[in-house]
Amino acid sequence: MSAVVTGIGVVSALGSGAEAFKAAMQQGVNACAMHEFERMGGAKAIAPAYRAVAPDAKGLIDPRKLRRMDRLIRMAAVSARQALNMAGLQPERGDVHASRLGVVFGTAYGAIGTTQEFIDSWLKNGQRHASPLAFMSSVHGILASQVALDIGATGVNLTLSQRDVSFEAALSSALSQLECGRADAILVGGADELTGLLHEFASHFRYVESGPTAGCDPWSGEGRAIPGDGGAVLLLEREGGPRRALARVEQARVARHDTGREMLDDLNLAGVDLVTSCRGGSRRAFTLENGRSRVLAKRLAAPELSHRGNFGNFPTAGALQAVVNVLMLQGQVFAPMAAGRQRQDLVAGCRLPRRILHDAASVTGLHGAYVLSAV
Amino acid sequence: MPSPRIAITGLGFVGAVGAHVSALEAALDQERSGLGDLTLFDSELSREYPVGQYRGDLRADFARLVRPLSAREAGRLSRSDLLALVAAAEALQMAALPDMARRNAGVYLGQSVCGTLSSESYYLDCAAQAASHGRASPSHLDRLFVHDGANSGDAIAREFSMGGPMASLMTACSSGANALGLAAARIASGQAQVMLAGGADSLSRIAFLGFASLGVMSPEGPRPFDAARKGMCVGEGAGMLVLESEAHARARQARVLAWLTGYGHSCDAHHLTAPHPEGLGAQAAMKQALADAGLAPSDIGFVSAHGTGTLDNDKVEALAIARVFSTRAVPVSSTKRYFGHTLAASGAIKAVLCVLALQRRRLWPNLGLQKAQDDSLDLVTQARPAPRLQHVLSNSFGFGGNNAALVFTAGDRP
Repeated sequence: MSAVVTGIGVVSALGSGAEAFKAAMQQGVNACAMHEFERMGGAKAIAPAYRAVAPDAKGLIDPRKLRRMDRLIRMAAVSARQALNMAGLQPERGDVHASRLGVVFGTAYGAIGTTQEFIDSWLKNGQRHASPLAFMSSVHGILASQVALDIGATGVNLTLSQRDVSFEAALSSALSQLECGRADAILVGGADELTGLLHEFASHFRYVESGPTAGCDPWSGEGRAIPGDGGAVLLLEREGGPRRALARVEQARVARHDTGREMLDDLNLAGVDLVTSCRGGSRRAFTLENGRSRVLAKRLAAPELSHRGNFGNFPTAGALQAVVNVLMLQGQVFAPMAAGRQRQDLVAGCRLPRRILHDAASVTGLHGAYVLSAV
Repeated sequence: MPSPRIAITGLGFVGAVGAHVSALEAALDQERSGLGDLTLFDSELSREYPVGQYRGDLRADFARLVRPLSAREAGRLSRSDLLALVAAAEALQMAALPDMARRNAGVYLGQSVCGTLSSESYYLDCAAQAASHGRASPSHLDRLFVHDGANSGDAIAREFSMGGPMASLMTACSSGANALGLAAARIASGQAQVMLAGGADSLSRIAFLGFASLGVMSPEGPRPFDAARKGMCVGEGAGMLVLESEAHARARQARVLAWLTGYGHSCDAHHLTAPHPEGLGAQAAMKQALADAGLAPSDIGFVSAHGTGTLDNDKVEALAIARVFSTRAVPVSSTKRYFGHTLAASGAIKAVLCVLALQRRRLWPNLGLQKAQDDSLDLVTQARPAPRLQHVLSNSFGFGGNNAALVFTAGDRP
């Protein structure tokens, strides 16, 4: 069974909302900017990053509810509401029964900022006076739960953490849940936030370019990977429903690298005319990404794009790439940014894609893939 | 999910009462609690609240079951990873899968605490340095690497060369049960023939102090469903099960320990931590699991309750069970006083217990019960034989109102 995407939502460094995101992609915006991060011990560091803008929740989420959401949850919840709005699906109106509406999210580090807040609360106030609110909001699984709480969805509710393929894992699970009839509609998304701690972590492992602002270069292999954050959501429904379909999700899988080839063999790749990948430009992942891309390019004779030069590199950036892919299937090919400039050469001669294979990998040994096609 | 049937052919367990399923059985038979003082890390509250801490040596356990881990390998693994690896090794040994079947098998693991025992120590070291020297010089930054949930499942897949579908489920205390239900769905949909699924979580300062901050921990340990219960107790452990399609298990003449016949899942969408006051989500999960198994409430011979011992959970769960089962006809018991609330591992450890109950046609008591909170449930107060036990249901509930219920059916007789 395949499912269709009927709505998209996104909060990223390129803006809040699908329209802002699309406009920025069309204009080839490089959202990389210098940001201040607080390092462990309180020292400040100025470094390039793709930090998501503040989510525009106006008219989407009750301000009282919004106050109880941390930054990560806000990005997820606002993206979810945007996707529902685009599809014209209002849970409050009963467009879908609450028990048939699900929420499935991927996140690698969860609410890490709130986790730090919780630890700080006991360091500052003593172990007997740690913050209960920070604790309950720090649990990974609260991501999907908070979104469900906002929209009143009582169906399938899952949060998955699969490092760099967390979104792909969420998509695979959501598709499986629709397939076995446990839901009629599922908001599937990915979100991660960038904190000073994570920036330091990424710098230590040389995921981050140390030079001036220029932007990720997914094709350099010279360590030009610049971290970012954000959230994005697709509303998935069974095909044939009343709402307009934007794209079709045919298959999605997650497995280990050593069976990645077999996993791709399981997918029907006939007619795939574009491959998108998770290339971010990190030294560590470059060899792996390049190797896979060569295999795929040879096999499918299709161009390969990665748009992390536009919106940054983070574990669930795959969710933003999925939004890009839906938009491309809607009628435009976006030239990706690399080192701050548009790589028109990569899209020269590209036709409008009809079938996109997304291929994502994690340096820790995981592999995710899905096929998205035009409706 | 009813077709094809999902066979359970391997079990693994680690918890406060010991490592290996035999240790679990012994503790249940002896009605012995593994709760005790927290010694894993320092805390000013460690003498106030007992915990379900595993007292053995996980590296030695793994060495006995599989191979010795080098210091470098062990250094890259969190305590949660080691708990998961030991339980996985036991389950895989019990299932005795052929190499090819194991290589194609997937891994679905429920987690919540993950590697925070390691990542929080990094943060605390830095904070201590900053407090004493005014600045921090971070070292062993790789301790942060295990903060996310992918590590344990990845460690299992890597160690045992398992290349099938992978997922780390993070639905708080229902994670292990959801991992099992979703793994079964992968087999039912034909995407896998064999899955290793379960849950694992270690103790951590964040979990211990977090539950203390919520005011839900009991200084005397949990007394599920007791009128005088004062709260829960945090534990650690892992439960792992090998699931196979019926055709696969029969073709290799594997002994089917039990069948996983039903899975139900819902979200309260009510509150971050408190359950829905009428247990609507819990009821929905139980009803779904029964429908999935094609069973009526009257078919169920035992309910393994989530039963944390907190005021809210036990009150609402009792109400939900009473509504679904209508009468006091079904025996109910919670295991939380045996090894504490093992968080994401809880649903998977309870699954192991349900399989043992079906294998041995025996129900173990709800330890710590003196006077029931009300008369709505048939609480198991002492071990009892259940010669006609055929189907059991297990509840798991998590933060955010995440509810999961599993139904297990008796397999081949021992």
